[in-house]
Amino acid sequence: MGSRVYVTGAGVVSSLGYGREAFQRALIEGRSGVTRVSGFDTSAIGRDFAAEVKDFRARDWLTAAEARRTGRCSAFCIAGARMALEDAKLPQDSIRGERTSVVLGTTMGEVALIEKLDRAWVASGPEGVKDIEVSRYGTTLLPIHVARAVGARGMVLTLPAACAAGNYAIGFGADLIRRGRADVVITGASEIIGHVQFSGFVRLGAVAPDRCQPFDLERQGLIVGEGSAIFVLESEEHAMRRGASPLAEVGGWGIACDAFHITRPHPDGEGTLHALRRAISDSGFLASDVDFINAHGTATKANDAVEARCLNEVFGGRRVPVSSIKSMIGHCMGAASALEAASCIETVRDGWYPPTMHYSQRDPECDIEVVANEARRGAHDVVLNNSLAFGGYDAAVIFAKPGKIPSEAPCLR
Amino acid sequence: MTPLVITGLGAVTQGVVGRAAFEGATREREVGSFRAPTLFDEARWPGARVVEATDFDPAPVLGEKGLRNIDRLTKFFLVASRNALEDAGLKRDAKWLEGADGRRAGVCASTAYGSLESMVELHRVALLESPRYLNPAKFPNTVINAALGYVSIWEDLRAVNATVCNGNCGALDSILVAESFLGTDRADVIVVGGAEAMHEALYLAFERLEAMAVDGQTFAPGDEERSKGMRLGEGSVMLTVEREEFARARGASCAVKITGFGTSFEPPSSEVMIINLSSEAIERATRLALDDAKLTPSDIDAVVSSTNGYSAYDAAEKTALASVFGAAKPRALVKRAYGETLGAGGAFALGTAYVALDRGITPAAHDSAQWPADARRLLVLATGFYGNASAVVVERG
Repeated sequence: MGSRVYVTGAGVVSSLGYGREAFQRALIEGRSGVTRVSGFDTSAIGRDFAAEVKDFRARDWLTAAEARRTGRCSAFCIAGARMALEDAKLPQDSIRGERTSVVLGTTMGEVALIEKLDRAWVASGPEGVKDIEVSRYGTTLLPIHVARAVGARGMVLTLPAACAAGNYAIGFGADLIRRGRADVVITGASEIIGHVQFSGFVRLGAVAPDRCQPFDLERQGLIVGEGSAIFVLESEEHAMRRGASPLAEVGGWGIACDAFHITRPHPDGEGTLHALRRAISDSGFLASDVDFINAHGTATKANDAVEARCLNEVFGGRRVPVSSIKSMIGHCMGAASALEAASCIETVRDGWYPPTMHYSQRDPECDIEVVANEARRGAHDVVLNNSLAFGGYDAAVIFAKPGKIPSEAPCLR
Repeated sequence: MTPLVITGLGAVTQGVVGRAAFEGATREREVGSFRAPTLFDEARWPGARVVEATDFDPAPVLGEKGLRNIDRLTKFFLVASRNALEDAGLKRDAKWLEGADGRRAGVCASTAYGSLESMVELHRVALLESPRYLNPAKFPNTVINAALGYVSIWEDLRAVNATVCNGNCGALDSILVAESFLGTDRADVIVVGGAEAMHEALYLAFERLEAMAVDGQTFAPGDEERSKGMRLGEGSVMLTVEREEFARARGASCAVKITGFGTSFEPPSSEVMIINLSSEAIERATRLALDDAKLTPSDIDAVVSSTNGYSAYDAAEKTALASVFGAAKPRALVKRAYGETLGAGGAFALGTAYVALDRGITPAAHDSAQWPADARRLLVLATGFYGNASAVVVERG
């Protein structure tokens, strides 16, 4: 039988603050991390709002050596991992070794480094490109930096699954434990805002002028965000042996690929439907068991309509409360579903559903029970985290109160 | 691990498209055709020597339409994946054969620097002209998983799609990810492997790290005494893998199986270092793979090496193998033939192991030890630059 997998710690770097509790508190209060972009000049781009992590100082979380050898995206990962370890009350050296793996998601990784290296190349030729900065680039490096920080010597893997990357990493990380390949997995995802990437989203016509209004009739698109959320996943045996207090249990997960269009979701949501149903059934639940859905909800016309339709189809018209925290922290791309997972875990703990802010007019195409503008409390045994992504990727993960996943659930077989 | 049967292979590299050509290259290509680059200005890189797929034309396989906004990496992936599905008898003329179903088929593969080409291209537009002129049709290529997203679109692979990054080890790691997906019944067949595309930025990076063997310098992967550096290559190898019962039920050959996987990480000894060519990690990955396959070192007939000509890199493998096996095993030196293909490196190695076992081919690129004609069990290695290493056991019969 596969082991139960517990989340025993979480760390968050976000435009709304650090640490899972502060993050969730800000979400519950409906605060916004969206401001004018400070990281680069937006005058030629046509949009100038984003949810940046403005006050991040690597040295608050990283050693001097770590800060020197990492880019911002990796630094977010290490910061999140340190917070998660502390949250899990894991002494620094206790998970050292081969039975600890690191699996992280991202979309573009150290995108700002590429831009910096390329600027140097254009300005000064190849000699202008510093070898130390070359060796800091690489999507591969995210989990490697974290493995060094926590002493992990097992698998070091990046799953660049675009905006579903957090769910991919958590789902696959949980399967590594269930399939006996690891006792502890440090997982989650990280993303930073880069100039090209911000501009690219604008050029796709996907970016809203100044606010993100998921599921609203007047929604105008997404707001780009950044951050990281990193988790400690432990096998039941490992967690119990050390007397850990699990925050939540990771249930089943579902993935699929639309195989339809590189940026647009399938109009019928075939892949999303599959991912949602699989996550629920894999967890040994019925759709009627799900208490709350942390939706992908990007506030683009296409995403929200398809996602809402899929949710209605899966939940058979039952009005399950749904929220999109992208209304407050923007679309953190690869980190989005990881940050949403952090919020899901807090919802599982305390029953607070974060609000979908800026919601004023119901869209008949998004006929779902939106938790509009104010947080509210409700049942919180089983929470679903949904994501869709570039490349037609779909992934959904179930989080539940520890022990709530039925022992006969397929994910535990 | 649950053994996975390899039922098909697709490949693209210099002078190679498809399985038959890859088998030919395995049999005959002792050293690849390392030449001055054509994809970027050789005058800027005196003495640069690389293997490019200069003759690669996707149109005969994919047709003329729909390729305009797709980058070189994606074209490699598309052609090799199509080859692998057709070679496995799942598709013909790009269509699923009866009994095969895109809802139960997926792709899971590696690229280490896949989006670099498009990132640099778009960044130049933003930097030298204006971000207003970024081509939105090309922007998706800057996202690492876009290439496999296109593979799913073109090949109708809907069950799973995962891009895997672990530097040079990613292609071997894609096997474990696929095994996890197949073992949890998310798919019946998955195309695994990797691809990497040549680009000046990639050349620049390794040149700045002083890792390259230029013209006139000895390039000899596996010979760490003589070799002066590595040389980059490009292309893709993709393999169709399935659980044995599924392959058997559809009448596919189950002659060659992947039976063991191991991976490990060893941090550098110094806090200031990033690069770490670690014999400890290779050794642990190898021992884990052998344990996983329930084999002992003496069961292994030969090794498909990860050596790339950079002497410290090659020395790490030599040390690890000496520790695990004692006496040296014959080694296929795949990167002599194809160059260092980074995220695709493990896939070229695995493809070599597959055709060596399935067809009894002796890889032409091998070391001085006699390659066993009746080889049944091969260890395939992938060494990363950062202390990461992965290993896979492939068996016949």
